[in-house]
Amino acid sequence: MTGALPELDPVIHAQARLRVVAALSALRTEDRIAFPRLQDILRMTAGNLSVHLRKLEDAGYVEVVKTHHGRTPATLVRLTGRGRVAFDDYTAALHALLNGGAEQKEQS
Amino acid sequence: MEANQDELPPGDPAESLRMIAHERATTGRRLTPDPRLLLWPWGLAWLIGFGVYFLRFGPDEHVYVDMPQFLPLTLLLCLIAIAGIITGVVGARAGRQITGPTSRQGAMYGFTWSVAFSGMGVLLGRVSEVLPVPSANLLWAGSMVALTGALHMAGGAMWNDRVVYVLGVSISVVNVVGIIIGPGWHALIVAVFGGGGMLVAGLVSWLRMAR
Repeated sequence: MTGALPELDPVIHAQARLRVVAALSALRTEDRIAFPRLQDILRMTAGNLSVHLRKLEDAGYVEVVKTHHGRTPATLVRLTGRGRVAFDDYTAALHALLNGGAEQKEQS
Repeated sequence: MEANQDELPPGDPAESLRMIAHERATTGRRLTPDPRLLLWPWGLAWLIGFGVYFLRFGPDEHVYVDMPQFLPLTLLLCLIAIAGIITGVVGARAGRQITGPTSRQGAMYGFTWSVAFSGMGVLLGRVSEVLPVPSANLLWAGSMVALTGALHMAGGAMWNDRVVYVLGVSISVVNVVGIIIGPGWHALIVAVFGGGGMLVAGLVSWLRMAR
């Protein structure tokens, strides 16, 4: 294991989007969360959350669907399979960085 | 400015992992309905309902507190209906926030309770007419408690929730013990251990969540 340290996915490696992806990863695979609830949990403004969701959507990590609950329109968000893989890779990379960093210190 | 800071990467890998753990824990906690709202209405319904039952239909047909015969069962069924409505509303509120397998599961589980209880009520309503009052009361109370124990066990198995499963087992055991000891005592045992057990289970689940 002397390979280069793993690179971190730039889409996820930003504080706001990391929080969004981490929160969504706590849902079950096929579950979708209502936008206002996600906003409430993350304590982000609607505009700010929209901006980051769009970036995650462009990367194919998040799926946003607009639907109706009775007559009220609802926006539902979920992490896609691809997003879940990217999040798992990101977490694995973090662990590798932590361990790699420790090994490098031992070697020097 | 806020957006700019959002784009900044977390300080270091350890901080990233802390953020992930925090966000996942918060989300899980915020999306789980408060177990006190799910269990305490039932615990109180049983404690009060079966308590009154015992006071009217005590052991050896002893009447501790005189009241019309229909009152204890009517009160118990009303309290159970109220508890059912409270848990139904709590469940529906949770279901509006999350759509998908989890809310479908919850809705099917809730529907199971009402169907099972309605079916049982129809049957017992017919059968209990021909039984002596103490036996009819024991049949109603014992069946209701047996069904509740079984449904809690099924729910615990479905959500892999040990507190709920253990509660279901305890309710089932308490029920059998009460039935063996006999009419009168059954209501007291179920009120104290069954109702009390639900209050304790709600408290334990809530304390576990708060940590």
